[in-house]
Amino acid sequence: MFEFLFQHPSTLFAKGQFTLLSPWPVWVLVLLVLSAAGGLVWYALRSRGVLPKPRALVVGALQAAMAAILLLLLWRPAISVTTLRSQQNVIAILLDDSQSMGTDEGGARRIEQAVRGLEGGVLDRLRDRFQIRLYRFGGGLERLEKLEEASATASASRLGAALRETLAETATLPLGAIVALTDGADTSSGIDRETIAQIRGRKIPVHTVGYGREVISPDLEITDVVVPPRTLADSRLSAEVVFRQNGLAGKKTKLTIREGGQRGGPDGKVASGRILLTREVTLKADGQPQAETISFQAGSAGAKSFHFSFDPVPGERNELNNSLQRLVNVEGEKPRILYFEGEPRWEFKFIRRAIDEDRGIQLVTILRTTQNKIYRQGILDPTELEAGFPARAEDLFQYSGLIFGSVDAAAFSPEQQELIREFANRRGGGVLFLGGRSALSDGGWDASALAELLPVRLADRTGTFHREQATLELTPQGREHLITRLLEDPIRNAERWKQMPALADYQETGPPKPGALVLAEVAAQGRRQPLLAVQRYGRGRTALFATGGSWRWQMSQDLADRTHEDFWQQLLRWLVAETPGQVNGTTPRPVLSDESVVRLRAEVRDKEYSAVSDARVEARIVGPGGVAASIDLAPDPMEDGIYLGEWAADPTGAYVAEVLVRRGEEDAGRDVVMFHREDGVAEHFRVEQNKELLRNLSEQTGGRYYEADEIGRLPDDIEFSEAGLTARQTLDLWNMPAVFLLLLALRGAEWFVRRRWGVI
Amino acid sequence: MRFRIPLVVFLLFVLGLSAVHAQRGFRRFLIEDDDAPMPADAAEKTEFTFARLRYPSGGSWGYRGHWTIDYPKADRQFVQGVRRLTRIHTRSVEEVVDLDTDKIFDYPWIYVVEPGRWILSDEQCKKLREYLLRGGFLMTDDFHGSDEWEQFMYSMGRVFPDRPVVEIEDGDPAFHVLYDLDERLQVPGIVNYPYHRTHERDGYEARWRGIYDDKGRLMAGICFNQDLGDAWEWADDPTYPEKYASFAYRVGINYIIYAMTH
Repeated sequence: MFEFLFQHPSTLFAKGQFTLLSPWPVWVLVLLVLSAAGGLVWYALRSRGVLPKPRALVVGALQAAMAAILLLLLWRPAISVTTLRSQQNVIAILLDDSQSMGTDEGGARRIEQAVRGLEGGVLDRLRDRFQIRLYRFGGGLERLEKLEEASATASASRLGAALRETLAETATLPLGAIVALTDGADTSSGIDRETIAQIRGRKIPVHTVGYGREVISPDLEITDVVVPPRTLADSRLSAEVVFRQNGLAGKKTKLTIREGGQRGGPDGKVASGRILLTREVTLKADGQPQAETISFQAGSAGAKSFHFSFDPVPGERNELNNSLQRLVNVEGEKPRILYFEGEPRWEFKFIRRAIDEDRGIQLVTILRTTQNKIYRQGILDPTELEAGFPARAEDLFQYSGLIFGSVDAAAFSPEQQELIREFANRRGGGVLFLGGRSALSDGGWDASALAELLPVRLADRTGTFHREQATLELTPQGREHLITRLLEDPIRNAERWKQMPALADYQETGPPKPGALVLAEVAAQGRRQPLLAVQRYGRGRTALFATGGSWRWQMSQDLADRTHEDFWQQLLRWLVAETPGQVNGTTPRPVLSDESVVRLRAEVRDKEYSAVSDARVEARIVGPGGVAASIDLAPDPMEDGIYLGEWAADPTGAYVAEVLVRRGEEDAGRDVVMFHREDGVAEHFRVEQNKELLRNLSEQTGGRYYEADEIGRLPDDIEFSEAGLTARQTLDLWNMPAVFLLLLALRGAEWFVRRRWGVI
Repeated sequence: MRFRIPLVVFLLFVLGLSAVHAQRGFRRFLIEDDDAPMPADAAEKTEFTFARLRYPSGGSWGYRGHWTIDYPKADRQFVQGVRRLTRIHTRSVEEVVDLDTDKIFDYPWIYVVEPGRWILSDEQCKKLREYLLRGGFLMTDDFHGSDEWEQFMYSMGRVFPDRPVVEIEDGDPAFHVLYDLDERLQVPGIVNYPYHRTHERDGYEARWRGIYDDKGRLMAGICFNQDLGDAWEWADDPTYPEKYASFAYRVGINYIIYAMTH
């Protein structure tokens, strides 16, 4: 219909440029149109004895519109457009040959729909006017002689790489357009800006034809698992499993965590591995992201691989997207936490006893027993902490965490207070403040420079410490937090905490600071106030536990009860779990799905945790099948203390990179980075059509997105391109049937209203 | 005349008794004046409280029971020293606890005087065992000789049938946590006035014994053949030797700080 009315395809109007071919100036046209319109309206109003004013205005407007169109036609309206010269240009057709194109779409696979669409006349019509180059793409790009060769078996789908290779291969050819037939289920990180810029630079329109449903139903898919890349041995790990489903709302399934599981067998499902934990999950609303926070034991030290998988739900269309793998470096080193206590307290004793049972943490303590004496425990040699709390950065920064008990802020010199602040900010350590008769506000911490480390505001007064029993209550955040999780189920966990014996005492605190997380509160003096709160501070983290009376949990409960031990171990492990060492190695993508290049990054600091830029940083990589390599990481010119390097991991499997740092002849530290390469896994995820990606690609390159059943319009549209060898055409518009019909309609409308109003 | 000899004997007896009674220590031995004024700050809530264990006992200490020996003066006088010599926030008065309720679990350090007289029931033994294993600390004092040891072990053996009572070694932190107690004295009780003899019964040598938990932490400090309680109680008496009083304070304070650190 459009082409009947306008004589040309819609793409022409989208691509072309409107112009007036008459040599007469445009301002003359504007003047004439205004004059004619004004005159006709004036004339209609003048005869208002016949028609009332509004009706006269309508008649005048209709006549004016008709006059304006007729005047416009005198100026010869036309459209100018660039078109590809026939038989002189190349059209590249890219056919997605990845496994997701094998998805059945109501009786036919996506790849079959695409092939059928091309073979149904489109390819022939294109060949009539252009040279056609057929490609298929998965992990890379490959020429395709016959469409039948496409089999939807490639283990990856990297559209960006395919476009880059197409540009490279056709660099010397008059490439007029690119056509991509795909579901857009890209397994790489998308199409980078550089590729888009290259395409735009050559003005090549990329037309996309989308296949597949935008919603796969019924289906359950894990979209992400957020888990810390490293932890301490025998720690509880908290993982947030993010997933979504369609068509399965209200159904139940089972989430399982396996250690060391492998995808095996032809079905690609995770079968082996030691089951660490299972949890029943009820699926919520369709299409909405859902998250489950789950914690489990990381186990002994070493490189660990964990698989998170959902049991298939009956009727599910794709069971291969129910599982994701994550790597965790379980560190064997025992972080040391320095606990400074201002006076002998039962809390001190019972914290020590709780941590004594923890193989992953070492507690070093300074206790002021008398006015003139300190008592040290957990020290490595008699000289350690001999003079009390450290006064030098290199002495203090050897610890991973700090705890301050019932001690006033004035016990620390201004230099020591600055060191404590830098301990969290620069060194990245964890700092915990406890309640006590000389702690927090009663110890003058509110007026000290260290008040900013606290996750709550403190009252500006003393007398805030009360030796009155008080009961802890979890906040909604505390029910699922790693520190306060005694039981997996958040509701049962909250109930468990309600049954705990009362604390021996509590300390008043103020409101939490912005960004702080309150995990537990205490109801006292007619109001609820933060008891346990945490926050990030600089590179580190800080926490507040505003009591010195949790020892009652140990003394007032059965010997077999481990609540007190678990709580303190979890709290202190959380405190230091992310404290970095002097050398901190990372990789942005620990799981390389269908890609081989691993990027390694090392952050190097000296004993005072200042950035080091003169180190020699080497990564020794060991991989599957005896693969071994050594690469040097180069200093990042943009940031002090950062070293970068890349390496191609060819065989699939697990890799360990040991990052070694030397400064001159001195060994300046080491760290371990783990990564895993896998092929053909990502292809099973996000298999629904990614229409947004395809639309954006076409819009940004001047192309057009087509639904699968619109592919027949492609041959007509594709010639409008500014790439390749082109010719400029100017097409008259005055002879479009639409113009004639418009004039007729205006005249008919005038006749209709006049007749209706009885003035003919 | 026939009454002369008995009269002389009677007069000599009265004279002798008067002379002996004039000696302060002996007077105390006969009628222990353990009373002590109630301090003004007795109601203060503190971190540490001297908790004295009330236990059932037989024997002849009359209606008060053996657990009350030196009570409350020894307790109150001792905590004055704890307050003055350490940073421990200490209550000025003691608390009496027993093994029949759960109140004892709020006091992780308890003192038992004359455990050589205690007779604990099975239920009480069980509670004491639970108390110690949860982290409580027991200090015993003022029992002497093999008979009282046997009586002590009759109950203690049922508290920990599986754990031996051992001699605490010189290097143990209990002897060094605040004061270095390498040279230890046998602290005499008031009955030994004028202190030329420090032992009672056949307890000739002071023993420092203990019971440890699985992690090597001392749960019970057993001061055997010595009487620290009397040294605390009579520390303000000019006739009581200072060296014993000072030593007794040091031992008591070390056990408290040990209990609050281990």
